[in-house]
Amino acid sequence: MANLGFVYALVGAVAAALFAGIGSAIAVGRAGQAAAGVVAEDASQFSKVLILQLLPGTQGIYGLLIAFITMSQIGVLGGSADMSTAKGLAYLAACLPIAFVGLISAFAQGNASIAAIGLVAKDPGQFGKAMIFPAMVETYAILALLVSILAIFAIPGLTI
Amino acid sequence: MAVVPMKRVTIAALRKDRKKIMEFLQRRGVMELHNNIPEDEVFRKYDMSDGRQTFLRNRGRAEQALAVLDAYAPEKKGLLASFEGRKPITVEEYEKGIRERASTQELCTRILDLDKEYAELSAKIPREELEMSALEPWMSFDLPLNFSGTRHTSAFTGTLPGQQTQESIALQFEELEPDLPKDITILSSSPEQTCIFAVCEKQDSARMKEALRRMNFAAAPLSAEVPAQARKNLEKSIEDAKARREKVREKICELASGREKIKFLIDYLAMRAEKYDTISSLSQSSRVFFVEGYVPADSCAQLEQDLVSSYDVVFEAEDPAADEEVPVLLKNNGYAAPLESVIESYALPGRGEFDPSFVTSLFYYALFGLMLSDAAYGILMAAACAFVLIKFKNMEEGTRKTMKLFLYCGIATIICGFLFGSFFGDAVHVIGSTFFGKPEAGLKAIWFEPINDPIRMLAFCFLVGLIHLFTGLGCKLYMNIKNGQILDGIYDVVFWYMLVGGAVVYLLSMKMITDMFRLSFIFPPAVGKAAAVIAVIGAVGIVFTGGRESRNWGKRIAKGLYAVYGVTSYLSDLLSYSRLLALGLATSVISSLFNKMGSMFGGGLFGAIMFVIVFLIGHALNIAINALGAYVHTNRLQYVEFFGKFYEGGGRKFRPYKATTKYFKFKEDI
Repeated sequence: MANLGFVYALVGAVAAALFAGIGSAIAVGRAGQAAAGVVAEDASQFSKVLILQLLPGTQGIYGLLIAFITMSQIGVLGGSADMSTAKGLAYLAACLPIAFVGLISAFAQGNASIAAIGLVAKDPGQFGKAMIFPAMVETYAILALLVSILAIFAIPGLTI
Repeated sequence: MAVVPMKRVTIAALRKDRKKIMEFLQRRGVMELHNNIPEDEVFRKYDMSDGRQTFLRNRGRAEQALAVLDAYAPEKKGLLASFEGRKPITVEEYEKGIRERASTQELCTRILDLDKEYAELSAKIPREELEMSALEPWMSFDLPLNFSGTRHTSAFTGTLPGQQTQESIALQFEELEPDLPKDITILSSSPEQTCIFAVCEKQDSARMKEALRRMNFAAAPLSAEVPAQARKNLEKSIEDAKARREKVREKICELASGREKIKFLIDYLAMRAEKYDTISSLSQSSRVFFVEGYVPADSCAQLEQDLVSSYDVVFEAEDPAADEEVPVLLKNNGYAAPLESVIESYALPGRGEFDPSFVTSLFYYALFGLMLSDAAYGILMAAACAFVLIKFKNMEEGTRKTMKLFLYCGIATIICGFLFGSFFGDAVHVIGSTFFGKPEAGLKAIWFEPINDPIRMLAFCFLVGLIHLFTGLGCKLYMNIKNGQILDGIYDVVFWYMLVGGAVVYLLSMKMITDMFRLSFIFPPAVGKAAAVIAVIGAVGIVFTGGRESRNWGKRIAKGLYAVYGVTSYLSDLLSYSRLLALGLATSVISSLFNKMGSMFGGGLFGAIMFVIVFLIGHALNIAINALGAYVHTNRLQYVEFFGKFYEGGGRKFRPYKATTKYFKFKEDI
């Protein structure tokens, strides 16, 4: 059963990239629709709404990050793919925070971004504040990322 | 570093000088106008909106003319043209522009007329082409289409529906007019229609007409010309129109040399319109008018001197009253000035607050650097900003400040990058081992590599956060002392310092915590105990003073307890700084990812080419996304964690009466 550990770990890595990526893709897409609407009315707002559109995109990157660290540690990208089942499950668990928090916080942040785009459309002077509202949501994605990173870095040292 | 002190200025002058004085003030652009003098029998406001409307209408025409020029002869603009800023204009150019005003307006009219002509010609061409295609079926006919017959005959030229032959037509006549002498010629036939030429004797004309009508005959388009000739004429006319259209286009392109003049006119008219708008708000009697407003104290003396020496004016400057809402203008040294826009997009300092630009600048660049933390990215950013700053001397003030902001952020990023050993991620190592066979190659971190020791980096981030938060609290203390509320300072700041600082020191005397963060030091138990006592004193102090606005002691203590509960917000504030680690890791891990992907093709020429491609695309993507992330989250740490401790804002921006122009910068000394 030695190889099943590897499978669990890979499932974790894939889930991180998968869920966080789905969340960001949908959120950035919806924010993009709102942004396009604003630019249709006032093209000079392009750079501002573009930044707001991109804000919920970071979850996907965090997911990619975790997936990549996990894959490089478990040897998908070269090296041996041998590990215990317990270790594999540990990797899977470590990937879950960014997978789920990434998915849901991207949705939430996407909604905040859309509202912020609306705010900039009405009053371009409020860009600084508009940027902060979606960024507040991102805090939780960052915290999840942190837990995932710390856990993954700690796993190789465990004797399980 | 400061909010610029303002003076409240009142100017009384003679109406005959009104135009000159108002233009002078507009060019100087140092006074925000506020007219509070109530209207009465002597002083009232004059409505100048008619004049303003005329200027705006003319400006609209000039803008249209400019749009026409841009459509026919687009201006060549570089990729970086948006950095260029408005062109400064000399006194001679300004006066020349005003002298040529009438001719420029004529120029606009001519351009608009030519554009109209072009549009008419453009509409004519497809119309005639349509006529030409309608003639196509009649080409074999060598008489004019309106040929109606000779002395003894009547002729009908036209179409029958559907594809017909001599026989089918004869068959139809058999039914309608069997014994009518006639001659039918089929000129052309297609599935839609058949063009015929029918001739009969003159006395049969009516019968023929009726028969044809019942066969759904439609007369040919009337034309006094033989179709072939008509087509030739139309061809010529179309060619002619095309040539004329081209000529009109050339003429418009020739007029494009007047573009600068038109731009000047647009700016000039905008300025005049603004002036009229302002004059409408002035209090005027039949001889005298008043201007009231705010002027920055440092420009006040010069303004007074210039006005008094040239005109008969009374100039009065006084300090604004304490409860007046004075507009806010920030002025900082070169290092902190770029942050004014960051402050402004949060809020300008309100009454009794100081300008936080400087204290923000102490952290802003460093936080950005910690989050991006790649020396190569920093070098690219700083170099790009420096290039733009040096190349475009005329840049608008706002753009210049933004560029400087990113220049300093880039420099901080370079420093952090070398501290943490990141140069395009681990590019030095990857290139060295893949292409030069030196796996030991690598950029040595000056301090340590966070990816190898994330806990240590996390501890460092919390330390940065603690310093940042305590600085914010310090600012509040400073503000309290400045406003003479020393007790408030003790209650709201010193107690918190004791509670949070004591708690942190106490935690650092616990082995569990120092082990967790792998710290090399631990406070001795005695220090821990002392810190705990201090923290408790702070907490008790907060319980008793946190709700001091309530008179009822029960309520007061309850509110105080709730205030102590606020210590959890310090915990979450502090945790928030873990984003420094997370974003820093994100940059370096993603760049390592791209390096690794690039090196997967192995060494050799092909490998090198693929590496360069992956490297360029990957790092361009990474720098864009992470620089954006670093910018957003630096702002967040400043706005939420830092400003949350002491800064409210609420000031109103200083908006001087000045020439709001689009293309040219009118310098003061005109």
